[in-house]
Amino acid sequence: MMVDENSTGIWVIGEEKEGKLAPVTLELLTIGRQLADSLRQELVVVIIGHQLEHMSRLLVDYGPDKILLVAGEETRYFIPETYSEVLSALVEQRKPFAILFPATYDGRDVAARLAAKLGVGLAADCTDLKIDEAGRFVQVRPAFGGNLMAVIHQPTARPQLATLRPRMVKPNKSGRKVSPSVEYIKPRISAKPFTKSLLRTVREVAEESGNLDEAEVVIGVGRGIGSSENMRIVNHLATLLKAAIGGSRGVVDAGWLPHTQQIGLTGRVISPKMYMALGISGAVQHLVGVRTAKEIIAINKDPEAPIFKVATFGIVADMFSVIPLLAKELEPPAPQTT
Amino acid sequence: MRIVVCVKQVPDVAEIRIDEVTHTLVRAGVPSILNPFDEFAVEEALRIREKHGGTITAVSMGPLQAKEALFKCLAMGVDRAVLLTDVFFAGADTWATAKTLAMAIQKLGYDLIICGMKAVDGETSQVGPEIAELLGMPHISYVKRVEVEMESKSITAERMTEQGYQLIRATMPCLLTATKALNVPRIPTLLHQMAAKKKNVEIMKAVDIGAQREEVGLPGSRTQVTKVYTPQYRTGGGTILTSENLPNAVATLKELLKKERIV
Repeated sequence: MMVDENSTGIWVIGEEKEGKLAPVTLELLTIGRQLADSLRQELVVVIIGHQLEHMSRLLVDYGPDKILLVAGEETRYFIPETYSEVLSALVEQRKPFAILFPATYDGRDVAARLAAKLGVGLAADCTDLKIDEAGRFVQVRPAFGGNLMAVIHQPTARPQLATLRPRMVKPNKSGRKVSPSVEYIKPRISAKPFTKSLLRTVREVAEESGNLDEAEVVIGVGRGIGSSENMRIVNHLATLLKAAIGGSRGVVDAGWLPHTQQIGLTGRVISPKMYMALGISGAVQHLVGVRTAKEIIAINKDPEAPIFKVATFGIVADMFSVIPLLAKELEPPAPQTT
Repeated sequence: MRIVVCVKQVPDVAEIRIDEVTHTLVRAGVPSILNPFDEFAVEEALRIREKHGGTITAVSMGPLQAKEALFKCLAMGVDRAVLLTDVFFAGADTWATAKTLAMAIQKLGYDLIICGMKAVDGETSQVGPEIAELLGMPHISYVKRVEVEMESKSITAERMTEQGYQLIRATMPCLLTATKALNVPRIPTLLHQMAAKKKNVEIMKAVDIGAQREEVGLPGSRTQVTKVYTPQYRTGGGTILTSENLPNAVATLKELLKKERIV
């Protein structure tokens, strides 16, 4: 395969859902701006969806040179087969150097299909993306449950694709004074390539309990919680901390949390600022899911629980005695009556 | 109904240790297992066959010892097991792996393909959707419930999302990737395990699937791993307080939350 040396531009594929921009898009733009600056190439953000007029003002501050909004009835709902076809047409036409996707359920799907369609490489679930001294695009990603980090290059094909895990960088306004150009594109689907349709979207996690990928604070619940009724006191604490709630395999298997909330080897890998483990013993299978958390707070009555070995702060105590005390500390003071 | 299940033999990730002196991965003594997510894929295939009939072929790419993973699939009840093994396949990245599997599946015949949502060693979640793209079929990833309708030749599946699920319908041929929420895989009896060992794992080489050397394995790969290292994670050393003075411990925790600007 020949490398097209003329390929240029860092593309970021944003994620939009129900009219809202996923925060990971701004993280991708932040890292994309660094890559583009190192290479002296332009940074392009692509959003695919339905009604996207309000998108550009959410994106401008984060440094894109160009905003491509692909909006139409055909791309109203996320269908990876359609989205990858739209992107493939754009890529063939404009030949970018690299394309960054969020490592979300949707991002991984569309990136994989696009890579296969174009016959190019894709580094999945990266934790860092950079340009080396030789001007090569370098992708760093964990494997083997985070036991190993691999440094990846894609020397033989363009564009080079990568998905980036959420919360790897802080969204950073670029401070650039140049305003980006905005281009509207109608999606062009060659024919209806597949018979596939989205029938319904169902939310299983309460709106206020947030997204495990996006939340600054995640509370992890272990089997010690004992029943789904007891989840109520955790919910209360989560509200006070603006935390998302996840759990161990045991809690999910018991049906006390939906499967989407399982953290660990057979669940999700998260990188919150703080992970608060309540009654979590800390088996390896669970810990691989929280290794990149900045702080780990452990509350467990068993002083020998392995979670204490990785905790930045811990209390050896029954979570049922700690949670109410902590909640009381965090509750806003009752209004003063005079 | 011809069901193909793609499986992989992986090291038991939970057993991997890091040598604290050399900071390298200790793989000696780490057992090889059937990728846990592939067990859900095999189990679902078996349930679909029980309901609607058909045949199940488990296919894997890997070294000769990956036969063990296929024996497990046979013990669970798949009809046929195929191992793609060839020096030409070595060093494949996800693209080359997907390409090899797609070429083999093309030879094997298919109506429905099921993969695990990811392998616990490589952790990319890419090979399934890439196979679907290469074979020109739709895919539904991260499925937690699957319904097959034979009359309309369609699949209705619940696809896991960050905060719930989507209900998606696709016509066959189609590819699914399985999550843990899908089922509880059966544990083969000792008798089934012994019987499986007597069954044949068919070997397919590059020539058998019509693959040229340069399109598979390392030469066919688009990504190159130039370096690996073991990351440094925190090893604790944090303050651990006892429940002796619990109000004090909780107050300390509150201070920490304040310091981190969480409250």
